[in-house]
Amino acid sequence: MNDTMRSALERFVATAARANAVAIAEAKLLSGGAIQENWLVRAEISGGPHAGVLDAVVRTDSPSGVAVSHGRAQEFALLKAAFGAGVTVPEPLWLCEDREVIGRPFFVMRRIAGTAAGHVLVKDERLGGDRAKLAERLGAELARIHSIRPPRADLGFMPTHDESPALHSVVRFRAYLDAHHTPHPALEWGLRWLERHAPARGDYALVHGDFRTGNYMVDEHGLTGVLDWEFAHWGDPMEDIGWFCARCWRFGAVAREAGGIGARDDFYRGYESVSGKPLDREQARYWEVMAHMNWAVIAIQQAERHVSGEETSLLLALTGHIVPELEYEILTMTEN
Amino acid sequence: MRDQPTGEELLDTARAVLRDDLIPALPADKRHAALMIANALSIAARQLKAGDAGERAELAALEGLLSEPFATHTDDGPSLRDALAAANRKLSQWIRAGRADHGALRDSVRAHLDDVIRRKVAESNPKYLGAKA
Repeated sequence: MNDTMRSALERFVATAARANAVAIAEAKLLSGGAIQENWLVRAEISGGPHAGVLDAVVRTDSPSGVAVSHGRAQEFALLKAAFGAGVTVPEPLWLCEDREVIGRPFFVMRRIAGTAAGHVLVKDERLGGDRAKLAERLGAELARIHSIRPPRADLGFMPTHDESPALHSVVRFRAYLDAHHTPHPALEWGLRWLERHAPARGDYALVHGDFRTGNYMVDEHGLTGVLDWEFAHWGDPMEDIGWFCARCWRFGAVAREAGGIGARDDFYRGYESVSGKPLDREQARYWEVMAHMNWAVIAIQQAERHVSGEETSLLLALTGHIVPELEYEILTMTEN
Repeated sequence: MRDQPTGEELLDTARAVLRDDLIPALPADKRHAALMIANALSIAARQLKAGDAGERAELAALEGLLSEPFATHTDDGPSLRDALAAANRKLSQWIRAGRADHGALRDSVRAHLDDVIRRKVAESNPKYLGAKA
């Protein structure tokens, strides 16, 4: 971090934290993140309610990144809403939308510790503490996310729709496939099934949109935080249940139906303990078909970034070759 | 006439060197990239081995299902890929319109899709089919 950014950040935190002085002792840029930058920061705060050492993450839009209007402001609002609803997330501290400070919007959140990598989590039983408790805890966390309901002035940037969220997704996926150079009749088969079996618009809530193993962090005791809020939207809460339990997000540990880390019953019990009503098992199955469809369309889009020459990447290229097994799973789940 | 080994055999041999000699010697943060390369070589080798017999069979099956020929030519005309795209686009429209919801057409479309997707998975990730069986 250069001196200009460092002193600008120190001044900003001093004002936001009502401190006498702030010194940034350490700052390290984390890898990854084409759109935003993440800085691990240790700030020494003198005076005020936050006096002491603060371990934080500073999330910015990347200077060269695509222009995402209010990107960080939206994410900050989502974290605030989740934190307020009792969801375990990195505590959002301060947002700066003034581009004069470091040249781009950013926010500061409390740093959390742990491991998120899905393939590590499903193999290393020492992580995440007692696994039945972890599955139950994740269910409870998800139900807290779903307790956030529209209308919400602070989350007004996300559109609401009157139609069935399931049918809304079917229309969106078909539109993408129609514009794509390679037709996928097996996905069309799945979409027709999803259309014919679509649940009506029922509960309508904040959907995390990417709630799965790999997107929450654990240490050896248990959950430390739910991450990756960029796909959050208003929709059917069952979408998150299906995404979490879908076979394609079990990282090979297919027998542990709750995200490859636990039993479905434990996850459901945790969810029901907070939502206060029984979870519809049959609908969960529907949304697992939807999850495979969603992932298949995303995989095609990611591969296309490579194929079109926009971003040459072996990872993106290989993601295109996950599509066949997703198609296979969709066919298997829609036999009748 | 090309000299041996074939491209497919070269990929298999290259992959064995990667797997047996290189990956064990790599630092942990480079292993994932090397495993991705090994996977890419495997997929390419399986596609080379399968040739275009599978896609030709797929096109013939589509012509039967849709009762319509989709011409392919080696020179000026549409390629096998173009013909398959046209035929699969039409099958997609049929499915979307509900023509494969019931009856004999439903069963034959379903059997066709099962065949085609099995063939695709056999190239992209044959272990997936093994695990399910």
